[in-house]
Amino acid sequence: MQSGESASASTTAEIEQLMKQYQQADPAAAAALVELLSPQLYRFFASQMGSRTDAEDMLQDVWLRIHRVRHTYRPSEPLLPWVYAIARRVRVDSYRKRQRIASRETSAYALPEVPANEEDTSHLSPFEELVASLPESQREVLTMLKVNGLSIEEVARATSSTVGAVKQKAHRAYERLRKLLDQAPIPQRARKGVAQ
Amino acid sequence: MTCRQMDNMISSRYGNSPLPPEAAEHVAGCQRCHTLVRLLDENREIPSLSHKQLKRIQAALIENISPVRPLPPSGIFLVAFALIFLSVVIVGSIRLGVSGWDVLRMEQKIAVFATLVASAVVLALSMVRQMVPGSKHAVSPTILPIVILLALVLVIVAVFRSEQESAFVMNGLMCMRNGLVYSIPTALLFWMLLRRGAILFPKLVGAAAGGFAGLIGLSVLEIKCPNLNEYHILVWHWGVILISSLAGVALGTVAEYIDRRKNHRIS
Repeated sequence: MQSGESASASTTAEIEQLMKQYQQADPAAAAALVELLSPQLYRFFASQMGSRTDAEDMLQDVWLRIHRVRHTYRPSEPLLPWVYAIARRVRVDSYRKRQRIASRETSAYALPEVPANEEDTSHLSPFEELVASLPESQREVLTMLKVNGLSIEEVARATSSTVGAVKQKAHRAYERLRKLLDQAPIPQRARKGVAQ
Repeated sequence: MTCRQMDNMISSRYGNSPLPPEAAEHVAGCQRCHTLVRLLDENREIPSLSHKQLKRIQAALIENISPVRPLPPSGIFLVAFALIFLSVVIVGSIRLGVSGWDVLRMEQKIAVFATLVASAVVLALSMVRQMVPGSKHAVSPTILPIVILLALVLVIVAVFRSEQESAFVMNGLMCMRNGLVYSIPTALLFWMLLRRGAILFPKLVGAAAGGFAGLIGLSVLEIKCPNLNEYHILVWHWGVILISSLAGVALGTVAEYIDRRKNHRIS
């Protein structure tokens, strides 16, 4: 096992232990879990929604849901797929909510719809800018694999899918990224984009 | 190494860990993979979250913290589902009779009931796994009910032949009513059990629970009904599963709406 993987394994064991303590109503464990998992969860939302405000709202929402269903985590099972499956649901709900609001506003003011994730893309990194052009299912898999650092098996669990299906989606996403990179390589995109 | 093999390597690679020698060799010689790997490697920045927001989330959780008992093992729920399945089929057979079982040939019994049992096992496993987020699924819960419905159609078409039948609709409606009388209340019972878990996608769970309850209705009908006309079974017996599954989806839609309202109020 490589050093990165060993570090990850010890962190995983640590957060699973914290989750067990959280189930036993240990406030320090709950606080530590929020501290440890929030940055990655925030990135999961921000990478896919493109808006920091939405990502912050979703982060809050995901913790409230985790709190409500914390009894469904079984200590013998891996924690990250459990957390990301809930996060995924929160993202879907948030997306639908925005769609509903957008359609109401459109009908009220008869204006064309402006998707929220197009509101401000200037803060996106070249990676996020490229990933934003992928279909939703590929974007989700790629974000979990390469942004959140989940394994293929963990992504399969989090998305209620199979390992084969995840590999297939990742392969399609890489192929698409290669094509996009052929058209505009990273340096050009970085110049066009922002703050790295 | 090919670009396709490289893709699998990229997916299973942890963070920025060094590439294995043959992958590194491929990246050195392939401009497209080189650019892709570089793009993915540069993406490691962890955003900083406001301290205030983290404190707010922590305070919200700690304010309502209380000990919880983890969900019982999946096996317990599986046994519960199996017991409900068997009990309802036995009660249905006692009340409605077993004339259908008597007229079935051995190969028909094996084909029909083996498919029903296999479908019930697979659906029960899927339901139990959907109670716990992040569970392992052998078949995606989105396509499983459709696969089962199609498998049953294939078995019915392969095993039964079309026969002359008078009062096709009258007989059929009677059968469907008998099937639904057993499947719909059982679906509600399953739903109560499933609500103990965290149902993330209620429509999918509803379809699975409805399909499972529909299998009970179909089993009762196959034991009870002596009509072996292929079209009768296809329309009125198989229809019980279809209606139960759709009723499950409708129930899931209602549950999703209620959850959404609840979440909206909480947040």
